[in-house]
Amino acid sequence: MMSWPFRIIGFLLWYAKEFLLANLAVTADVLRPRRRMKMRPAIVAVPAASRTDSEWTLISSLITLTPGTLTITISREHGILYVHGMFVESRAQLVADIQEMEDRLLNAMRREPGDLTRPTERPVVRPLDEAAPPFAPGAAQHPPTEAGERS
Amino acid sequence: MELIDIVQALGLLFIFLGIGTIIVSAIGLFKLPDLYLRASAVGTSAGLGVASIVLGALLMDFSGLNLLKAVIAIIAQLLTSAVGSMAIARAGYLNNALPAEITHIDELSLTRRSSDRS
Repeated sequence: MMSWPFRIIGFLLWYAKEFLLANLAVTADVLRPRRRMKMRPAIVAVPAASRTDSEWTLISSLITLTPGTLTITISREHGILYVHGMFVESRAQLVADIQEMEDRLLNAMRREPGDLTRPTERPVVRPLDEAAPPFAPGAAQHPPTEAGERS
Repeated sequence: MELIDIVQALGLLFIFLGIGTIIVSAIGLFKLPDLYLRASAVGTSAGLGVASIVLGALLMDFSGLNLLKAVIAIIAQLLTSAVGSMAIARAGYLNNALPAEITHIDELSLTRRSSDRS
């Protein structure tokens, strides 16, 4: 593991490279005729390892700054970045790209990289007022079977 | 050719590169189908376009003070354009600007209230 200042410089160089490549990709796709555009947009929930305010701010700004990816919102309590990607072949590919950037950022930001684990399963996020189940469990959840038992 | 001429030519090259990037992203504004893709495409002009014009101007009129000004201008521009794009995208999603139909995954729609879902 390199010492801290070199990790920061390494991250900045890596990010500059990614930034230029993303610019080229987006520019090329805009100039392509509409029928041959490679665009496959998607909005994906990416589990994130950021903890502090500054880490959340920086990772979401850097994602948005890279053309072709855009942070729409974050959920701190679930540890999720909602990222809109322009060229997404599969969910796993965008998640891997974003998490690689986050790993490198956190390695550069933290003197000791420490805990980089993320929630592995995507938590179920629902609006607050729909969190409670619509009916009490067991009461009328399986009307067909109950009706069958009674008759 | 003297060094100063080469630097001047390089400055002009960067400025025209920036202008080209901005023109392409303006074309993108017309061609792309929805708010989020457009916000992504404008990112190229707000980031690379403006940065390379500032860099070109710096090369054409180089001094220590101008270097400091250019670095501050580029960093401030990159940070504010990113925050602005996020604010626009978030406001759009909260106001039911639905993504275009070619969007093949939308995991954010799971968090919507069912009355808003379409």
